[in-house]
Amino acid sequence: MAAETAVTSGWIEDFRCASDEDAELQAHGRYYSCAYLLDMEEHSYLVQMHAGKVEEILEDPGPLDDRYQFIIRASAETWRGFGQETPPPMHHGLFAAAFRTDLSLEGDLLVLMQNLRCVVRQIELLRQTGVPV
Amino acid sequence: MAHISPVTGRYVTFEVMGDELKVFFLENGSGQPLVCQHTAGCHNHQWRDLLEDEEITQNYRVIAYDLVRHGKSDPPKNKEWWKEEYRLTADYYVAFITAFCDALELEDPIFTGSSFGGQVALQLALRHPDRFAAVIPVEAADYSPGFFLDWWQHPHANAAQVCASGVWDLMAPQSPDQDRWATWFYYTQGSEAFRGDLYFYSVDHDLRGRLGEIDAEKCPVVIMNAEYDYLTTPEEGRQTAEQINGAEFIEMKGIGHFPMSENYPDFKQHLQQALQKIESKLGARTG
Repeated sequence: MAAETAVTSGWIEDFRCASDEDAELQAHGRYYSCAYLLDMEEHSYLVQMHAGKVEEILEDPGPLDDRYQFIIRASAETWRGFGQETPPPMHHGLFAAAFRTDLSLEGDLLVLMQNLRCVVRQIELLRQTGVPV
Repeated sequence: MAHISPVTGRYVTFEVMGDELKVFFLENGSGQPLVCQHTAGCHNHQWRDLLEDEEITQNYRVIAYDLVRHGKSDPPKNKEWWKEEYRLTADYYVAFITAFCDALELEDPIFTGSSFGGQVALQLALRHPDRFAAVIPVEAADYSPGFFLDWWQHPHANAAQVCASGVWDLMAPQSPDQDRWATWFYYTQGSEAFRGDLYFYSVDHDLRGRLGEIDAEKCPVVIMNAEYDYLTTPEEGRQTAEQINGAEFIEMKGIGHFPMSENYPDFKQHLQQALQKIESKLGARTG
């Protein structure tokens, strides 16, 4: 369990750096402020964004720890596809996976749509960081 | 060093089901007309590389138009179109394309289009097999539900970005960034038409149980679907072809739903293959 925690806490830092240093997110994310839950079956991550920067990422948040607007939920297997440098078909984007895999988009989808460009880009950063599951 | 492209742009006026239209088209080349339809909510720049490809234009007159309400083709001149909700129907779309070909007096054109252009290619083969020498439906299937959505025009979201980023992962991650982003950019420009186009794509286009009425021996049909297309997969394209008498299918690996725009060099190889199949079929008929 300890090794797994070390691996996942490393991922949180990697994902934070990849996001905060990403040229596209930083060029276009001035209004990218929202919170969403990445449910990866084995772990979940509450990603809180503020003005294009990662404010905090909570690992396996408790039921009442904090709030979020939408959830991106999929099996660990599906997320592993997202984490490949060149993802296989249907693991190469949120809409593709929502139409063709077990990935589901839940909660207030309007907030997702309002931030779609940035969320799509941020999820693509998993190709650089890999996934913690 | 400056270079002037051989591609020319012109307007043509004609009427479709009572609508007075002034339609913009780009063209280059000579020979058999190859009429190209852009995808939903987009415009003819998706065909920019094909239009300038000498290897193709030495044998084909490549014509890429903007469908009414897209690019430089304005909405109908004689209609208060802003008082109606735009929903493209199969009847109107087919009438538009045949009227455009008639207006340009095109003889035996080959028609190609991707996505909702691929779907209408199937409709043309069904309804007007005598008017077209052949069709190449790209990213096509008998039915493609699920994309007629209000999100494309929701007033509380940035419609330009929702449309453009909503179709982003219809493209393959391997396609060159410059071309994927050009395609994204085009998609920021057409949100008002996109949703209405998708009424045809996901609702009115429904050829389930009717593919047997298409005869690809009369009007050759070569369907091409790409590996990263999540709306109409290669499997669905293949199944569609299998239900059409004489139709052929080509799978395009490593590309997505906008192949002519996101990765032209790869798409070209498949297009040439399709054109060769059509030539040999038409040649065998006349020979």
